[in-house]
Order: sequence, then C-alpha cells, then structure tokens
Amino acid sequence: MATVHDEIDNWLAADLYGELSDEEQRQLHTHLVECAVCRKTHQETKTMNKILEETFAQQKPDPAFEQRMLASFRQRIPERSGLLKLLADLMRLRAAQVTAVAAVLLALVQLGRMITGETATPQRARDRYANEQLFEQPSQVAATSEPDRAGALEKSDELAAGKPKDLALPAPPPSSGTRSELHKDFKALPATVAPAKTPQAETAAKEIGSEEAMNYVAEPSSAETPAPELVNRKLIRNATVELEIVSFDDAVQKITAFAKEERGYVATTDSQKQANGKLRGQVVVKVLPENLDRFLQKIRGLGELKNQTLGTEDVTKAYFDTDARLKNARVMEQRLVDMMKTKTGKVSDLLQVEKELGRVREEIEKMQGELKYWDSQVQFATVTISLVEKDMEEPAAFLIKERSQLALYAPDVEKIYNDIKALASSKVQITNAQLNRDYSGRISATMSMLIAPEESEAVIGRVKSFGRVENFQTQTERIAQGGTGMAENAKTKRDKVELNITISREEQEQAFQQTSLRIRTSSVDEKARDLRTLAEKQGGRACSSTFTRDPDGRELANIWLRVPMKNYSALMQSLHSLGKVEDVGVHRQDRTGTQIDEANAPADISIQVYSQGNIVSSETGLFATLRRTLTQSASAIMWSLRMIGVAVAFLAPWVIAIVFIVWFVKRIARARQSKAR
Amino acid sequence: MDASEREQYRAAIHGDREAFEMIIRTHSRTLFAIAFAILQSREEAEDAVQDSLVKAWKMRWRVRDPEKFPAWLCMIARHRAHDVFRRRRPVPLSAQIIEPVEPEPNGSSALDQQLHSALAALPELHRAALTLRYFEEMDYRTIENTLGLTNGALRGILGRALASLRKQLRPALVSTD
Repeated sequence: MATVHDEIDNWLAADLYGELSDEEQRQLHTHLVECAVCRKTHQETKTMNKILEETFAQQKPDPAFEQRMLASFRQRIPERSGLLKLLADLMRLRAAQVTAVAAVLLALVQLGRMITGETATPQRARDRYANEQLFEQPSQVAATSEPDRAGALEKSDELAAGKPKDLALPAPPPSSGTRSELHKDFKALPATVAPAKTPQAETAAKEIGSEEAMNYVAEPSSAETPAPELVNRKLIRNATVELEIVSFDDAVQKITAFAKEERGYVATTDSQKQANGKLRGQVVVKVLPENLDRFLQKIRGLGELKNQTLGTEDVTKAYFDTDARLKNARVMEQRLVDMMKTKTGKVSDLLQVEKELGRVREEIEKMQGELKYWDSQVQFATVTISLVEKDMEEPAAFLIKERSQLALYAPDVEKIYNDIKALASSKVQITNAQLNRDYSGRISATMSMLIAPEESEAVIGRVKSFGRVENFQTQTERIAQGGTGMAENAKTKRDKVELNITISREEQEQAFQQTSLRIRTSSVDEKARDLRTLAEKQGGRACSSTFTRDPDGRELANIWLRVPMKNYSALMQSLHSLGKVEDVGVHRQDRTGTQIDEANAPADISIQVYSQGNIVSSETGLFATLRRTLTQSASAIMWSLRMIGVAVAFLAPWVIAIVFIVWFVKRIARARQSKAR
Repeated sequence: MDASEREQYRAAIHGDREAFEMIIRTHSRTLFAIAFAILQSREEAEDAVQDSLVKAWKMRWRVRDPEKFPAWLCMIARHRAHDVFRRRRPVPLSAQIIEPVEPEPNGSSALDQQLHSALAALPELHRAALTLRYFEEMDYRTIENTLGLTNGALRGILGRALASLRKQLRPALVSTD
C-alpha cells in the first residue's frame, strides 16, 4: 500500500478527525501493522493531537461569546425606524436599483443635452433629405399651425383682457343714470317755474326733445314778461328761425296770416331765385312779445325746422338813464326858453343862449328818438325767418366720366408699347407712357390715355387684342354739376374716357392653376429632358429646373413648367408615359369677378422627378418599417450615449477632484492615527 | 444547506434583522475561529468578528446568492482580521509570540511556546483549518465550505499541517512520551 505510506500524514489526520471510510480505516490499520515507521508517526500524531486539543481548548471562546457578539452588534447597529428603513429596504430591491440607474442615466442625458443644447432628432438623414427637397411639408405645416397658435395666443390674451373689460363695463351705467336723472330734473324745472304755461306748449316741448330743452329754460323766463317784478323792465326780444319749406310764396302768405293773428305785421320780405329755379328768402315779422312763443309754434308747422334761436336784451337801465337825462334836458330847455323870453342882457349873450338851446333840443330829440326806438323794440318782438325751398341742391347737369384699367400680358412688351403709341390721334391722346426695365431684365410698361367717348369702344378693343388680358376694369362715374342727388330733367354728357394700361411679360403672370406632382423613374436626367420636350410640344415651356444627386445615388430634378390651360390635360396625360406619377396636388385660383381667357391662362406644373437610389428599395412594407425603426432606435441610442459621454466628461473632473481630496484627507488622518499610536 | 437555512440567509440579505441575529448566533464562533487563526489573539479576534459582523450587515445587499452567505461572512472576517494583523505590523511577530510566554518559564509552557511558534510558522490556511477543526469540531466538508476550498483539498492541508507541527515538536513529543 504505497499510497497509504506516501500520504500517511493525510491518512493519519483523516483518521484522527474521523474522516476515513470503513474501507479506508481497514487499509490504514493493515498498513500500520505492516509499517513500523508509520506506526511511530501514528503515535506521535495522536500525542500531538492531544496537545493541540488542550491548547485550543484554552483559547476556545467562552459560552457567553455569542451573546457578546449580539450585544455589540445591537449596540453598533441601532435598529432603524420608519422612512429611512423603508428607503434603505427599497434600495435593496432589484427593480428599485434598476430604476435608480435608469434615472441616473436619464439625468446624465439631460445634463448632456443642457450642456450641448442639442435636441433629440434621431431622424434618418435620408428621410430628412426627402422631406425637405420634395415637398417642404414640414415648413408648410409649421406655417399653417403658426397662425393657429397665434390665434390661440390672441384668444388667451383676450381672455386675460376680458376681466378688466368686464370690470370696466358696469362703470358707465351709473353715470348715464345720473345724467338721465339730471335730465329729468332739468325738464321738471320749467314745469315748476312756469305753471302758467299752456298745455299745448308743454306737449310741444316733449315733441321737440331734449336738445331743445335749453330753449325751454329760456322761454319761461321770457314768457313771464307780464310777471309782476318784470312789469317795469324793458326787454327786447328777437328770434331767428330757419325753415325748409315746399313753396316760398305759400309760406310767406301763411306767415303774414299768423302775424295778423298775433297782432303783428310783416316788416320786410326779400327773396332770391336760384339757378335751378328754387327760391330762398327772408321774412322779418314783428309781433307782440307776449305772443312771440305762440307765433313761433305756429311757424314751425310750416315746414322742417332747421335752426331756431331766441334772444332777449335787457335795456332797462339804459332806458331809464336816458329817460332821466331827457327829463333834465327838458328842464334845461325850459330854463333856456325862459332866459330868451326875458330878453335881458347883450345880444352876444342871447346868441349864446340860443345856441345852447339848439344843442339841448337836439339832444332831447336824440334821446326821445332813442326812447321811441326802444319802445318800439320792446313793444314788438322781431322774428327773422329764413326760408329755403326744398331740393335746393338739385343738379343742373351730369357728366359721365369713364375710367378703365387694363392689365395685359404679352411676350414682347416693347412691341406692344410702340403699337399702342401709334394709336395716338386727335381723338386719342396719350398722357403718360413709361417703359420700365428692372435689374433682372424684366420689362413692364404703363400707359395712360384719354380717348374721345365715341372712339373709346373701338380703341379699347384694339388695345385688348394686342396681348392676353389679365384684368380689365371700367369705372363709370356720374358727376353732378350744380348740386347733388337726383334730377329728373338734368342733361347728361359724356366726358373723355381715361384708359390706364399696364403691360407685363408673360412670366410675371400668376398661374391660373398650380399643380405639383412627383414622378418616380430610374433615369432622372433623361426623363427630365423628355419632360422639357413634352412641354414644348404642348405649347408650354420650362421656366426653371434643378438637378441634384445625393450620396446614396438618389437623383432629383425639379422642373417647373408653364402651359396654357387648354393643353394642360393633354400634358398631364403624357406625363404618365415618363414614369409613376405620385402625389398630385392641384391648386386653382378662381379669381371671381375678373374676366379671364381661361383657355390661354397659364397653368404651372411643378414636377419632381426622382429615383429611389441604388441601395434603398421601396419605402413601404414590413422590412422597410423594421429597418427604419431599427435605424432610428440605433441613432437614438447613439445620441443618448453621446449625451451621457458629454455629461460624464463634464462631471469627471469634479468626481476625480473630489475622490482625490477624500483620499488625501483620509491618508492624512491615517498618518496622524499611526503617529499617535 | 437546507431550505430553512437558505430562507434565513435570504431574509438576512433583505434586511431581516432577526434572521441576521440568528446567523450571528450560529456563525460567530466560526468567524472567531478564522480570525483567531490569523491573529492568534482572543481579544483581537473578538474585535475583528464584531467589526466584520457590522460590516456584513451594512454590505449584506451585495450578496446575490443566499447560499454563499456563510462563505461571504467568513471572507469578511478574514479580511478584517488581516487588516488588524497588518496594522499591528510594527510590533515584531516573534517578539509578540514570545512575550506572553516569558513570564511562565515552566516545562509545559515551553511546549506551549514551541507549539505557538510552530503554529505561527504554518501557512494561514492551514492554521485556519486546524482552528476550525479544534474549536468547532467541524467535519472536513463543512471546513471546506467555510474556507471556500474544493472537495478533497482539506485532507492534504490538514495532513501537511499536522506533519509540519509534528516535525517541529518532535523533541517535545518524545520527551512527553
């Protein structure tokens, strides 16, 4: 049993610790019986085991060891409570850890975005290319959505402003209320002051309305002339009335009758005849002041009241002053007369007296005249009535002025310009002609001419035939002479016709119909050329074209064609021969109200000829979608990684610095600790 | 390892304090043995066990497989003991071993002293295996599990350890015989 002998130490140890199987034990014992050396070793091992057992038994922990461990553990780790424990436990959950990591990554991405100011646009470059080049839909969408948003903003502004408005609203009513109350007071006043007023006058006052309330305030005071305190007052009253009446003579007759009724008289009458046979005049009536108001009421019934003023002048003081001075002058006269009668003294003295007497008498006469005038004024109120017959402004004649605007499109502007110039004659006068050429070589012309009315139809017809009429407007104006409004028997005359012409080149004309479409084909270049010839065959032409090729081998040609409307459908038909026609969009401008030659009106067709490129197959189907999704997610991940990288790069210096500082501080602390020991 | 034990470890990992305290009751002696094997000092070994228990509680969430929890505990205890051992380096190893022996100059203590130095000369793993065996009377399998050894390795280790001790103590052994 060489193996047992060679590994006797292992065998003995295993035997000692009871790790030998029965079979092994038998083998060992057999060997020990045979081998003396091993027997000795066995003896030694057993002795040593005893020593070891004794030694280790001394070092063995005492029975209270576990309790001590527990106690120290409990002391050093006090039981956590509440939220902190919950949080700590939560962070131990796998899901919570994953969430935390995800949150940190997201935060890093966000940080990266903030640093770089980039937004996530993991859109495929190719798609972007296509979108921008082909349709510019995104921008259109943005453009259409912009006003909506602006509208919404406005709305919100309105909403915001709504409150103040609403708040402001209730303010006016009280003020208007107070005004109306004032008004009522105002109206009530005359009623209380003048209870003597006739009911007739009162109803009339209501009819006249608020604006004449003023007059009624004035009226009662004047109407009170016979009131006790006013008896001795000298008041001059006058009124002016402006009336529109049907017949002047009738009115004057009626006024005379009214004046008689009110014990007045017509002082003066004058009238003028107008160019259209209508009369205008003035009547001055004198009536007794106490009858003035009644008289005015009557006059109002004659026609439409345009204007009315009432005035009162108080001459009491001046009257009585003059009266007193007159009395003095009379006394003076009497004394002078007495002096003359005595005839004493010198002749020169007499002459002096006579002269003085003359002066005094003259003064007396003047004052008497004044008083008489005042008396007459006070005795009668003056009413000045202005009368105007209706339809005063009816015109005597009409002039018909015709003004036309003509916009022409022509291939050769200059030629037509000269043709029109050649039309000039005594009946056709060109007042203004201008030919413009701008920096880009575009030519336009504007012309103005005056045409004799009888020639106008023919001349305009000729001018129209020179080019394509884009727009023609005629404005006829009837100018009334010597008045406004209608007139049954006024003469009508035609004036010269004014014609303004604008001539522009055909290119500048706005297309009547705009079509956009795409053609997919394999050979873009060739098809673009075909397209050009097709257009020329249909009487159109290519206005502009571009050609691009992108790195994927995609080719793109944009061609803008212009054809007359009559050939439009034929051209559209022939396009199908070039390739697959896609995304047809038609935009038609129906310009209502303008006469347009629809058959010859230009139609624009914007065609995009493109190829799919060499690598990319059809953009539809499961695989394309899958590929697109994968590409997008890959680019999204790349972008996120980049952002994380940026954030890490941003944070790394800080982290390194902090870690270094912590490490350094710890080192110092440790060094101090060891030194203390 | 039976199901209830595994459940206990799992609960402890998930922060069940009672389960962890139960583990302390059952496993702290093993940990002590390991620490003692390294430090050869009861006080220091006890401190190391206390430290490593606290550390284990704090770091328990790092353990993924509840079955490995005991082995992980032992590893922590070993690291902690090593830390302590390293820190006392300035004191020469031999001097420390001799020191406590000097005041007792009798025959048995001479043997003790020889045994100590012989034990100190052993590789740490051997010492740990011996300690576990003599302290806890563990069978080979448990010791292997605890120390993270592969099946069958322990037989050679303990054999060699005993042989090495025997060689060094032979004179003393002969005299005692």
